[in-house]
Order: sequence, then structure tokens, then C-alpha cells
Amino acid sequence: MDRLRERGAISLFLLPIAAVLVLLFLIPLAQSVYYSFTDYDGYSATAHYVGLRNYATAFTDSSMFGSLTFTMIYAVSTTLVITVLAIPLAVVLNRRFAGRNFVRSVFFFPAVPSAAILGLVWTFILNPLGSGVVNSVLHAIAGIGPVPWLSDDRLAQMSVIGVAVWAGTGWHAVLYLAYLQSIPAEYYEVATIDGASSAQMFRSITLPLLTPAMTVSTLLLLTGGLKVYDLPFTLTKGGPGFATHTITQSIIENGIAQGRVGQASALAVLFLIVVGLVVLAQLFIARRVEGRYS
Amino acid sequence: MLRSLSTTFGARRRKALGFGLAVAIAATGLAACGGGTSSADDSGTVSFFSWDPQKTMQPLIDEFQKENPTIKVQFSWAPPVAQYISALQTRLRSGTAADVFIITAENKVQIMDGKLAKDLSKESFMPNLAQAAKDTYTKDGAVYGVATSSWGGGILYNKDLLAKVGFSQPPQTWDEFLALCKKLKDAGITPFLEAVDGIPVTVAALVGLQNKQLGGTMDAQIWAGKQSFSSTWTQPLTMWDQLFSQGIETRSAAGLTGDQVSQEFEKGTVAMTSTGSWALGGIKTAAPKLNIGFMAVPGQSGTYWAGAVSPGYAINAKTKHQAAAEKFVTFLQSRTAVETYQKTTASITTTADYTPTLDPALSDMATAVRAGNFYLPQTSWVNNSDALNTEAIALLQQLAQGKSSPQQAAAGLDAKLKSLNG
Repeated sequence: MDRLRERGAISLFLLPIAAVLVLLFLIPLAQSVYYSFTDYDGYSATAHYVGLRNYATAFTDSSMFGSLTFTMIYAVSTTLVITVLAIPLAVVLNRRFAGRNFVRSVFFFPAVPSAAILGLVWTFILNPLGSGVVNSVLHAIAGIGPVPWLSDDRLAQMSVIGVAVWAGTGWHAVLYLAYLQSIPAEYYEVATIDGASSAQMFRSITLPLLTPAMTVSTLLLLTGGLKVYDLPFTLTKGGPGFATHTITQSIIENGIAQGRVGQASALAVLFLIVVGLVVLAQLFIARRVEGRYS
Repeated sequence: MLRSLSTTFGARRRKALGFGLAVAIAATGLAACGGGTSSADDSGTVSFFSWDPQKTMQPLIDEFQKENPTIKVQFSWAPPVAQYISALQTRLRSGTAADVFIITAENKVQIMDGKLAKDLSKESFMPNLAQAAKDTYTKDGAVYGVATSSWGGGILYNKDLLAKVGFSQPPQTWDEFLALCKKLKDAGITPFLEAVDGIPVTVAALVGLQNKQLGGTMDAQIWAGKQSFSSTWTQPLTMWDQLFSQGIETRSAAGLTGDQVSQEFEKGTVAMTSTGSWALGGIKTAAPKLNIGFMAVPGQSGTYWAGAVSPGYAINAKTKHQAAAEKFVTFLQSRTAVETYQKTTASITTTADYTPTLDPALSDMATAVRAGNFYLPQTSWVNNSDALNTEAIALLQQLAQGKSSPQQAAAGLDAKLKSLNG
């Protein structure tokens, strides 16, 4: 009887989170799946069944294909570059030197303002005219003419990814730093006695023991990168052309501004599947790497 | 001991459950309050969901309440465009939209098709509205919005810089305009700069000339399949492309924002730019010593202005306070309200019973705008204007970059229209 009561109490405690899950995730998800098969415009009370038309449009529309391409490029490249930069940065920030806390704060700071504000500030810095901050500096130092940072497809994509890397590296370095501080100092002392070099210690002690942190960091980077909207939108509004257009921007534009909720829902469902597959693949690889080093 | 622990746990559990229930009840109560904010119960109250901020609308509301002391206006606001559209969409869908809200180019098709606003065509104030204002929000003879102003767009020029190359009269043809730009370039002055973060004013006006040649029915003919974007837009786009192919305007315009272009113009380093009448106040504040004028965009068959009717006031089809809402909208188009609104916003009002005093730079434009001689693709397109607008901006940016041709850009719009309309 007591066990039954105990179970009942546990169930009651789980009720709020279950309600949140159902209300804020499962019901909207079911609605999105339903709307993805209709021509619902967000205003009218009725929606007509259109079969797979919205899904077919998602695969044939060039802008949506462009959005998917840039989103994948953004998610993969920011994950790789930030990981490659954040780990050595964390190792450096873990050493003792004068002003260490200040330097840690400086690297962490870009993660504090919202991405939308960073985008607006960098629009000013990367202004493609000669009066832009970067272009003025380049002209003054090297006499280089105005570089079309945000006016050329490739440069605009690189600029968006560059700003994201600049903003995210410090935050992820702090994450790695937390894991680094949990590695026992004795491991390094023993390795030093055995005559291991710094590079050997990094490869054989630091990196293997950081694999759990890499799983967390890359998962956050990948999921954040796949659903990115604010930074590219404020920096380039998705342009020039559709060069920096993201999937989330397409979903928002279709669903809200263009009153094509059915089309936006189809995109969202497809996107959920893609994100799910990517995250599963990432977790599978990360677990294998962790298993190999543990 | 076990019994005691069990009793304590039971008491704590009951307390926790009681607290949880209290929180749930309170949350339900709060949710119920939150859900009813836009719809008033009092018959003497009219709710108004504005596009303009409270600072702009409060003087009008105060004046209305002074004239109608029994009616209280409940004001709410969301910034244009996406945020406003999204909030209104959600409220209309859930039946909690305000009694009076804003109908605009971005939502008029859905509102008119769904008859979500009341037909105002029988209202006594209709003759006071400009014909272009009525046409913009009319479908099948029903008028769904009351617009009291319009805006125009043309080429804003720095008189002092143009005087250096002997400028005396605004160019009347596109070739004259290109010749003026070349003179400026030869004199070491940046002749022309405009942002391509939207459909540029020059493109809108040049396409407007095509529309004029087709009797103002160009878009209706495109949607009916009698014309296409390829047959009507290729020539204006070919002319616009000359700005880049002849080196008059930098191809970096593809990545510029309107604010960045305005800043360059305000610094006095650019002779001409294209913008709307709404930008004049900001530019004059930022650069009060700049000697500026507005000219229409010259084409092959005359000059023309870009422009559109401003958002209109609409009455919710499901309002429970129709009499109060009608009184409020009637007031918003009255001379008193329009004059008050014009003084705050410096807009080009178009109601018949009030002629605004405008900046001298706007005099030519205002005459054309009040007569309805302007064109903006986004507000003239029959449907899917936002989707087509997004596509058009991307295609024009590619054209400005030199990555596509005018023919390809126009064909791209045809393809988009075909995919949208099945």
C-alpha cells in the first residue's frame, strides 16, 4: 500500500514536467504535422487537405534548398572550428599567469550580448563600403580596396561563420576549462616523471579525458547551429541572394510573414527529422570516441 | 519510528500537494486574465491594436475620448512589420483580436479573403478617403481599411554636389540621368548609391512606368496570364542594371542596408540616393545643413514616383462593440485626427478635408502622391506579395552582384509566382 502511495506521489511530482512536455512540445508537434498536410494560412478557421504538396515544394524550391545548404555548412563549420579553437584556448586559460581571470572574462564576454546585438554591431564593422571599420583599417594599413564582406556570397557566408566562431569560442573554452580542472594533477606529474613532452601529455591525457566535454560541446554547437536565426538575420538578412538564408528563417517567413503555415509546418517537420538524424549520428560518433579512450 | 516518518512524509506530501494545487489554481486564474486582454467587456470600451507607438497615437486617443467621454480606448501596440503581423495573426485566430486593428500590405489578402474585418464601404466618411487608399483595401466592392496617408519614394539629391557639375533641372529621361551620373563620377563624386535590402525605389518607379503604360492593370494581367514578369520587368531591370554595368553604382549595394546608405548621404559623400518621404525627417535631423531635393525617377517614357498607401484602420468582424469601433474609426479619418497625426509623423496625408503643410522638398512628390500617381510592386501584387517580395529582393541582389541577368531575374519571379499559385 505504501509502495503504491509512493508511486502515486512520484507520478504527481512528474505531472508538471509531463504537462509542460505535452503542452509545449507534443501538442505543437502534432499540430505542425497536421498543418503540414494542409493549406492553412494562420488566419482562417478552416484548413484544406493538400496531401504531400507542401513537402514536394520544400524539395523543389531553390531558396529552401539554399537555406538547408547554408544551415548545414554553418552548423558543421562552427562546430568544427569552435571545437578546434576552444580546446587549446581552454588549456592556455588553465595555466597560471598574471591577469588570468581578466583574460578568461575577455574571451567569455562575446557570449554575453545577444546574437542579434552582435549581428548589428558586426554589420557596422563589416560594412562593404570603404567607410566600414575593417575596410578602413585594411586601406590604412595595406592600401587594400573595399572588400565586399557582406555583398559577396562566399564572403558573406564566411563573415557570418566568422562572427559566430568569435562569439562562441570563449563560451565553449570555459566549458572545456571546467572539465580540465577535474583532471587529477597526479596524471601530469607521473607523465612528467616518465619524461613525456607537453604534446604527448596533451594527446594522451588531456584530449582523452576531455571527450565527455567534447560530446556536450559539439551537441550544443550542432543543435544551436542547425536552428540558428538571429545572427545571420541581423548581419545579412539572409542575403545576398539566399547565400546566408537559414532553415529557421524560411520557417518564420513562410509561417508568419507569408501566411503559409502549412508550408512552414512541412519545413519544420522535415527539419526536425534532419536535426534528429544529425544529433543521433553525432551522439553515436561521440560515444564511440568516448568508449575508445575510456 | 517508521510510522512517525511516514506520518511526517504524508503531512509534507499533503502540504506540497496543497501548495501545488494553489499554484495551479493561481496560474489558471492568471492565464484566464491574460487571455482576455484584447477584448473588452464594457460596451463603452473599444480596444485598439496599433502599428504606431503609443507616443504617436495617444494625442488622437485623448482627443477622441474628449469628444466621446463615454467611450474608453484600450490601447495596445506591437512594432511593425513581422512582430505586428504575428501578434495580430495569433489574436485573430484565437478570437481575442482588438475591436480596431491595422490592415496593411503584408496581411490584407488574408484579412480580406477571410472577411476578418468589417466592410466599411457604406460608411458616410468614404468620400473623404483618397481613391488610391480605398482601392488598396477593396475586394469585391467591400472596403476593409481606412487609410489616411500615403508615402512617396524618389531620388533624393544633394543640391550642392549636383551644382558642381552644372545641374539645373532634374533629368527627364533615364539616359539624361545616366549622363548626370557620369558627369558626377568624372568629377570624383560618388554619383548614386541605394540599398538593395528591399525592392529599390528606382526599380519600383521604373516598373510603375510600365504599369502606367498598361493602364494600371499590369499586375492583374500578370496574374491572369496575359502578361508575365518577363514581358514587363525585363526592360526596367535592364535599365537598372546599367547602373552597375556602367560602374555608376558599386556592386556592394547588394549587401548594404538603408541605414548605411543614408549615413553615406548624410556625410555629403554621395550625390544621389533613392528613398521614401518617411526618411526625410531623419536625414534632416542628422544633417541639418545638407541642401537637398527630391526628384521623380526618370524612365524612358517620363518620370514616376514609387510609393504606397499607408496601413489602414480596420474593424474586427467579430467585434462586440461595433458602434464604438465605428465611432473611433470615423474619428481617426476626421480632419482633427489626421491633422494631429500629420504633425507627429510628418506623413503625406491624403484625406479630402485636410491638406498638410509639408517640407518644400516634398512638394512635387506630395502632389503626385495625393493624386495617386505612384507604384509599389508589393502592394500591387494580387496575392503572395510577401513571398514574392522576398524572392524579388534575392534576385535583385544577385543582379546587382552581376551573378544573373535582367532576363534571369524576371524569369525567376515568373517561376516563383508559378510555384506559389500552383
